[in-house]
Amino acid sequence: MNFLFDSEEVPIQAGDTVASALYRSGRRIFSRSFKYHRPRGLLCCSGKCPNCLVNVDGSPSVRSCVTPALDGMRVRHQNAWPSLENDALSIGQHFDFLMPAGWYYKVFTKPATWHRVEPHIRKAAGLGELFENPQGIPEYEHAWMHAETAVIGGGPAGIQSALDAAERGEQVVLIDDQTELGGHLRYRKQRGADPRERIDALAARANVTLLQRASCFGIYEGNLLGVLLGHPHAGAAERLIHLRAQRIIVATGAYETPLLFDNNDVVGVMLSSAVQRLIHLHSIVPGRRAVIVAHGSEGDEVGADLKQAGVEVVEILAPSEIIAVRGSGEVKGVKSRRGDFACDLVIVCGPRVPDAGLLSQAGAKLQWSDVPGAFVPVGLPLNVSAVGDVTGETPVAAAQHFPDSKRAFVCICVDATSRDLKQGIADGFEEIETLKRYTTATMGPCQGRMCQLNAIQVCSRLTSRSMDETGTTTSRPPNPGVTLGALAGAKHHPIRRTPMHHAHAELGAVWLDMGEWKRPRYYQVAGAGGEAESVAAEYRAVRERAGLIDVGTLGKLIVRGKDAARLLDKVYTSRFSDLRQGRVRYAVMCDDTGVILDDGTVSRLADDRFFVTTTTGNLDFVHQWFDWWLVASGWDVSVTNVTGGLASVNLAGPKARDVLRKLTDLDLDPKAFPYMACREAQTFGVPAILMRIGFVGETGWEIHYPAEHGEEVWNAILVAGAEFGILPFGVEAQRLLRLEKRHVIVGVDTDALTNPFEADMAWVVKLDKEDFIGKAALARAASGGGVREKLVGFVMEGGVPEDGAPVVIGGIPVGRVTSSRYSPHRKAGIGLAFVPPELAAEGAPVRVRVRGQLRTAIVTMQPFYDAEGARLR
Amino acid sequence: MSFLIPCPNCGNRSVYEYRFGGELKQRPEATASAALWHEYSFNKVNRAGEQTEWWFHRAGCKQWIQASRNTVTNEVRKSWIAGEDPA
Ligand code: FES
Ligand SMILES: [Zn+2]
Repeated sequence: MNFLFDSEEVPIQAGDTVASALYRSGRRIFSRSFKYHRPRGLLCCSGKCPNCLVNVDGSPSVRSCVTPALDGMRVRHQNAWPSLENDALSIGQHFDFLMPAGWYYKVFTKPATWHRVEPHIRKAAGLGELFENPQGIPEYEHAWMHAETAVIGGGPAGIQSALDAAERGEQVVLIDDQTELGGHLRYRKQRGADPRERIDALAARANVTLLQRASCFGIYEGNLLGVLLGHPHAGAAERLIHLRAQRIIVATGAYETPLLFDNNDVVGVMLSSAVQRLIHLHSIVPGRRAVIVAHGSEGDEVGADLKQAGVEVVEILAPSEIIAVRGSGEVKGVKSRRGDFACDLVIVCGPRVPDAGLLSQAGAKLQWSDVPGAFVPVGLPLNVSAVGDVTGETPVAAAQHFPDSKRAFVCICVDATSRDLKQGIADGFEEIETLKRYTTATMGPCQGRMCQLNAIQVCSRLTSRSMDETGTTTSRPPNPGVTLGALAGAKHHPIRRTPMHHAHAELGAVWLDMGEWKRPRYYQVAGAGGEAESVAAEYRAVRERAGLIDVGTLGKLIVRGKDAARLLDKVYTSRFSDLRQGRVRYAVMCDDTGVILDDGTVSRLADDRFFVTTTTGNLDFVHQWFDWWLVASGWDVSVTNVTGGLASVNLAGPKARDVLRKLTDLDLDPKAFPYMACREAQTFGVPAILMRIGFVGETGWEIHYPAEHGEEVWNAILVAGAEFGILPFGVEAQRLLRLEKRHVIVGVDTDALTNPFEADMAWVVKLDKEDFIGKAALARAASGGGVREKLVGFVMEGGVPEDGAPVVIGGIPVGRVTSSRYSPHRKAGIGLAFVPPELAAEGAPVRVRVRGQLRTAIVTMQPFYDAEGARLR
Repeated sequence: MSFLIPCPNCGNRSVYEYRFGGELKQRPEATASAALWHEYSFNKVNRAGEQTEWWFHRAGCKQWIQASRNTVTNEVRKSWIAGEDPA
């Protein structure tokens, strides 16, 4: 088993992470720093610092020390060119005087300079790069879980809490981010009893779920935990779990942080817990000669481990004794007040900081406590508790020493030194939150874990304030970071297809997405030209012969009951109680501010039964709107969504009657079945609702029939129409045809503020009705109040503006084009536009910007085609 | 935002299953003054504390419910089928 690191084969042993395998194979430099491109090596070995970021299988900035090594993985270094060992940009550190704290703000004071330089800075400083992954884009998934008790952290405290809760009979979920439970007892062998027995007891309980290799990145409202699980199964890279828990126990422990001295970032300077992990979890001999930097007797534990592993412990220095680490690439030795020592490892026993980020997200305050010498969480919210080292129960000690130096790195993520912090404070940024933003210290990939304590302590000293007065920076989720793929989840997009979908596909449909629906945009006929030719042919068929379009995506509701007409009178602006059986009426729905919400048709099939259509996207909204106004009304009405049960087509054109006559016995004579009438009748042998309406401006029928006969009837109409030259037409031709009739599409030609008077549809508002939704506002609009603009038609010779083009007066945009097309009928550009009310007059010229040029268009309040509607009747 | 709303039909469910329908308000008579209509249409009380609201359980029973939510804590202590007696 091995993986590829850049071009070298790296062997894998059982239990290896990418980092442990690399370290064993001799690699010491793992990355280059953000700003100065200084070489960096393993520091924490626990996923809490920025030093081991690599690209794994195409994903950038992956922490190699917590990523299990898998056979065949493709691992690459990042942020260094040409290689980690020789990085051309490391020259930058010798010019650090050019880049003091806040240098962005000081140097780039002119936008022009910044824009010129920014791409180069970005290239030099960016972290990671996206590569094409040979295995394709990984899959991600989401899952939802519930627990009575969720325990975060699988160390001794977490294990005990989970056991206790399990024994009380609760449903327990234990989340741990390591490959095995046990926490620090796995690698701090002198610290306590082997937890194996308790882990086995836990694993044996049926009411305990273990989530391992899973990190909890956030506590959200309602005790919702965000948990990221790596490689849940072979088919997925990550699973994001939404875990809802009644009680949360945080047992995240404490983590070790660095000490400040010159060159404290050199490769080979390692936290004591990191070296213990390498020794005990991966059986690695980390080096040959080590110097330990520790307070008091704190170095004894790791000293014993090192000796046992065969590493010579050269010296144990106190933090105040060390002056600097020698070595530019890797550690060569240590300069101290007690002399110089040659070594290849500098082991730092730093303060252990309670990992209380989740608790502070949950609402706890972090309060400084001199014993243990840490910020400890207080004021925990209800149902959230903390156990173990995260509470600060173990003293941290490690008295600090704070050199003022441009080589003592406080924040290794962004290369901010103690000198930078001092400069920031001198520049006036004394508050920890502003100092953080100015120097960007604590804002890198480790999210403050390695540097927050040191930054606060430096700030507290330099400003002579207590730790509590200085305060902490804010921990926000997600921490640790979450991949965008995991947040996005599965690539799953529901698709709705009408019953005739496959017939459209066979006819060459080119699809248009409308919400979840697929609709034919136009039909690409084999051997014919492109979209323009197809649309022109479909247009001509409808205007000259016959056309057929699938309108199955329209929302369809049956409204039934004694009070059905009463409901429709209330929610629509027109009157329906006087609509005769067998008649159809156009319907516009407004809210109480008079804004148009939707439009459609209402057909009265029987005294107490109406067939209502809605626009494609608004069906659910309209249904909910009906239900809302029915609440507590006591009215006898039921509303049923029959959209999925019906196939719907519109057959239109001068020959439409001849086509339909071949399929039904119904009397289609204009006197027997006039414009705006509806009938229920057998059509091609299936029960159908037929409505004579004319969205596209020709004689036509909208036909609704059972979905299971969708293709059958569709095909029958096309066969019957063949002798007349019928063509199926798509949404694009339909939009052109309706535009020539100046028919409005709600949501395209109206917006979130348009009322019917502005849309030039005063005729749909029946103010003499007793009450309806929007009446009060529309009554005011009728007398001119609140009409800000008016929708007008326009004709433009020699050009077609784009949808959305501005209408301009004296250089100022005063309106906009909502729809515009070239009209074959008018042989000119036509369209709809919102203009100020005073311009809404027949023949008024308006200026419209067409691709940068102002052109004149002439306003019309008439349809562009068949203004009298003769062709509809 | 990730609180729970108890549905009288379906039980405790994530807020994401619902559509918010606004504060419960008294709709004025059609003949009411413009000022009253303006108040109803555009102004919200937005009380800091318990407030009765409309919620539509779109991913559940598809019913309008009313709920008493504490807008400070997002705690929903009580809910009932819209139009029914909250008690
Ligand atoms: S060494 Fe991997 S995150 Fe610190
Ligand atoms: Zn419900």
